[in-house]
Amino acid sequence: MIETLASGQLLFAALALGATYALVALGLNLVYGTMRLLNVAHGDLVMLGGYLTYWAFALGGISPLVSLLGTAVAAALLGALAYRLLFRAMLGARRTGPRVEANSLLLFFGLSIIAQNLAALVFSPTPRGYEYLSDVLHFGNVALTGNRLAALLVAAALCLAVVLFLRWHTMGLAMRALIEHREAAAVVGVDIDRVQIASFAVGFGTAAVAGALVSMTEQVSPFMGFPFTVAAFVVIVMGGLGRLEGGIAAAFALGLIETYGVALTSTNWRSILLYGTFVALLLARPQGLFGRRAVMR
Amino acid sequence: MSLLEVRQLSMRFGGVQALERVSFTVAEGKIIGLMGANGAGKTTLFSLIAGNERPSSGEILFENQSLAGLRPDQVCRRGVARTFQVVRPFAGLTVIENVTTAALFGMRRYRDRAQARDAAAAVLQELELGDRAEALAGSLTLSGQKRLEVARALATGARLVLLDEVMAGLTPMEVEAMLLTLRTLHRTRGLTLVVIEHVMRALMQLSDEILVLHSGRLIAQGEPPAVASDPEVLRLYFGEAA
Amino acid sequence: MSPARDLMVVLALLGASAGVPFLGGDYWIGVGITAFMWVALTQSWSLLSGLSGYVSLGHVVFYGLGAYVVVASWEVLPIAVSLALAAGAAAVFAFATGMPVLRVRGPYFVILTFGVAELVKFVVMAAEAAAGNASRLILGTPEIETLFFLMLALAAAATVLAWGVRVSRLGHGLRAIREDEEAAETLGVPVARYKLLAFVLSACIPGAVGGAMALRNTYFEPLQAFDPMISFSMIAMAVIGGSDDLRGPVVGAACFVFLSEMLWANAPQLYMIILGLLLVIFVLFVPEGLCGRLFRSRGA
Repeated sequence: MIETLASGQLLFAALALGATYALVALGLNLVYGTMRLLNVAHGDLVMLGGYLTYWAFALGGISPLVSLLGTAVAAALLGALAYRLLFRAMLGARRTGPRVEANSLLLFFGLSIIAQNLAALVFSPTPRGYEYLSDVLHFGNVALTGNRLAALLVAAALCLAVVLFLRWHTMGLAMRALIEHREAAAVVGVDIDRVQIASFAVGFGTAAVAGALVSMTEQVSPFMGFPFTVAAFVVIVMGGLGRLEGGIAAAFALGLIETYGVALTSTNWRSILLYGTFVALLLARPQGLFGRRAVMR
Repeated sequence: MSLLEVRQLSMRFGGVQALERVSFTVAEGKIIGLMGANGAGKTTLFSLIAGNERPSSGEILFENQSLAGLRPDQVCRRGVARTFQVVRPFAGLTVIENVTTAALFGMRRYRDRAQARDAAAAVLQELELGDRAEALAGSLTLSGQKRLEVARALATGARLVLLDEVMAGLTPMEVEAMLLTLRTLHRTRGLTLVVIEHVMRALMQLSDEILVLHSGRLIAQGEPPAVASDPEVLRLYFGEAA
Repeated sequence: MSPARDLMVVLALLGASAGVPFLGGDYWIGVGITAFMWVALTQSWSLLSGLSGYVSLGHVVFYGLGAYVVVASWEVLPIAVSLALAAGAAAVFAFATGMPVLRVRGPYFVILTFGVAELVKFVVMAAEAAAGNASRLILGTPEIETLFFLMLALAAAATVLAWGVRVSRLGHGLRAIREDEEAAETLGVPVARYKLLAFVLSACIPGAVGGAMALRNTYFEPLQAFDPMISFSMIAMAVIGGSDDLRGPVVGAACFVFLSEMLWANAPQLYMIILGLLLVIFVLFVPEGLCGRLFRSRGA
């Protein structure tokens, strides 16, 4: 037992899981932070990214690591479109202003149902998978497949890129300004509309890339997205809503808790661990593990 | 007799000393003006009295009973009502529903909803909001929303009302109207008022006594003419404003 | 808006539908049970979320616990007692969890209620697995007509309860909390007590409904009894019908049941897609719900 826990194998699994969670949660957090929209369809973008990658590989023989660029662009465009068609009016309308959170939750829930069932209708509910970089590599006593390593590296690199973008790029700065204070950002001349469209694009794009990476190691299916939505929400609540770096730290924390927790108990306990950690944490520290925004009285 | 007594009240937020050992008493039936620059601690003082915040140290007595540890709703039921500097109407409820809430839950606590509504309607008449009773509170103008704040505070049946800049942002004519309303209310209802105001002339006219806060400390108190000629007040307050 | 008239309208509708078992066959009785179930659940959800603005995304937990209680006490206790126990268990659970859960607001509350419901689902699954029950069958449940009238009674009870809360001080205070909690508290509304009371009241009937549905299904399976879709559906029905209106849940439930009877058996995916589209359309264009739109009588 101790040997298993101390092995690099488990640590690698935890890191890989954490990196995936971090990437999925990042976009969710960005969309929430800048616009207070609760995207419960976020996991379905993971599903979409998975399918795009699968079809590119199955039909065109395109490597997932190449097609993920196209996947990211496609999802980013979808995000921009969703913003233009559905959310811009909602964010602007005074009537729904204070209730944006609840309304966005319902709207995204509707979209989620549509996306899942459309996928089931078009792609059939059968899970689909492919083999890519599945050779086992050895690093010391750690054995892992190439696709897992590639997924971890790409996810980590992309998280880092987004963080750097937010820190140094003008648009990134504008996004952070919007997260901190919407009205103040507008007053100092930030073009709110452009920032929001960019947030949708980045949020949707990163989720689809996460889906592309997941499809390299797991089968894709129409209803695979929901667990990712849940995990991403757990992560961003742990990290503090709108706190992007906190979310990344929380993602790795959750990856560790989940992987080691399951290793110590059994896979039946996975969900209990996930939700138990989440509920306990939210009750103990409602502002999130790394958050500072007060939500309690 | 003193209705409100504040003893050695201090409040610290993180490293900021918002209030430091503030003591004063408010006699029943008086109008007290509270002045001071932005950040002097005026609104913090209201929040402490009304139970929205807990003081770091010190004591607040209302009718010779401590308010320590009471929640805002409990303080309200004792007979203290406040308004909010940044108005907080129940935007999705009608004006009369806003005021009825105060009549139902405040110190007066009407058991009967029809009676509460009648009482609310009467208060709305006094504040000249009677014809807007069925409008949604969010649709009122700023002046209307400030009046609504006052109407809600009154409808609780409170004996002590804390008014936080209810004249800020109003036109000179609206200020005159509000002054008249406040005087009338004070006279007819026998209310005790503590008033925060930046409109200096209005405050001087209205108040029986003025308290001056500066950086969390009480630096002067007395009748308006005395305070207006106090050298430290002149230097700190009017000096900065001039 | 006259809540008393709304109550009469809803009760008259429910009363009229009591004739169904004498006119239609088992199919229509089954449809009636489903419709009453949704009316009862959505009415209870609206009592909390429609009035106070605390959007619960985990109301299925009360339903599931009710089902669990009835199934676990099957052939141990009389049905009436175990149904009462189901309602009581849901209320006790709401009371115990409400105190900490209701301290968080907005999206945190939404996600937390969802998390609590899922946690309970997985704990019950683990407990059942440990006890060696993948699912439980119960035999000798009451006739379908009996269940029809039971569910009708629960829908009526939920409606009367929701009406009672709406016209009481509690309802008035909850609306004030929905609009601005801090201002409400400063005006004397005992916010913590009222929120908890509303949470408990909105839990007990779903508990009994869950128990009654276990009798109808004659089996219990945690994944189904705690299905998060049930929570989502309550919200969707309330939104489509109008969430701060006594008639809203009836209208919402009627739309849903009609759609599902038309499509569910033959084209489940199409049914879900239409459901999703409806939700999108309503949130975007009719956020106040059908009752807010069709029967608008308040100056807005």
